[in-house]
Amino acid sequence: MKRLARYFTRLYPRRWQARYGQEFDALLEDANLTWRDVFGVALSALGERYMSEPIVLPRIVNLASRDIPHGYELETAVEYPREDGSKMLVRGFCREMDLGDSYVTLSHATRGSEPAQTILVFGRKGQVDGDFRTDETEMLVLRPDGSVHRTEQTVRTWLKYDGLGDRLRERYRSGMQAGQTPDQIRQQIEEEGTLQSWS
Amino acid sequence: MSDPNVLVLASLAEGDKHGYAMMDDIERFAGVRLGPGTLYGAITRLEQRGWIRPVKSSEDRRQPYTLSAEGRRNLEEQLSDLNQIVRTGLKRLRHA
Repeated sequence: MKRLARYFTRLYPRRWQARYGQEFDALLEDANLTWRDVFGVALSALGERYMSEPIVLPRIVNLASRDIPHGYELETAVEYPREDGSKMLVRGFCREMDLGDSYVTLSHATRGSEPAQTILVFGRKGQVDGDFRTDETEMLVLRPDGSVHRTEQTVRTWLKYDGLGDRLRERYRSGMQAGQTPDQIRQQIEEEGTLQSWS
Repeated sequence: MSDPNVLVLASLAEGDKHGYAMMDDIERFAGVRLGPGTLYGAITRLEQRGWIRPVKSSEDRRQPYTLSAEGRRNLEEQLSDLNQIVRTGLKRLRHA
């Protein structure tokens, strides 16, 4: 989780990284991070990069989820407003498979017209300690130039995320099947405080 | 009340703190867990406005912040406005 959050930290503008990078990294080191935090880091970084004050929240244009053997797939399209008034579309695809003692996550994303980048995570489940589990992971970043960056790490995983993620995906899926737009579903979730009650 | 800017200012009103100490403090006094991205979004804005500033620390990476005089004044104004809303709301509820 920390590795992924650090990866998204690279999305912050260089001037921001030069000023806050070290102390932000120390905070990521200290905090027990959740997937929401990781998503929040990515949103915040893109906000610093592309949005002027006041911060305008990005808009989910499309979100589709389907079950596959041992896991699920998720497709997202999120629109980020830029300072000059134009909009940038970030498209992402994620596949997560739980194989019992291990798991595999594939994520593939592209920002605007930039080349797509793919991240593969292989994890071996470790010891459970309360709501957390310590896993051994290997992350492969497949870069647009064909090079591969490989890192191995021991990470602490927040187990409650699994339940939260499943419920959130189900909420979007059932809402869209009932004819709601992603914006309407998100607004409903925020108004009800659903995420807080789930976590 | 979940405005990250006000929560950060209110946390620093007690004394200087670095990022993780602010997260922990805000969760305890407001019941709101600010994620790292949201917290540093607020810190960035508040420093740009001159309402908080970094202070020297013996720790290399954990940077503490302090409330400036202008930040304190702004926090007082915002809390005063909020207090007025709370009092009016409660009064109206009692007479409803």
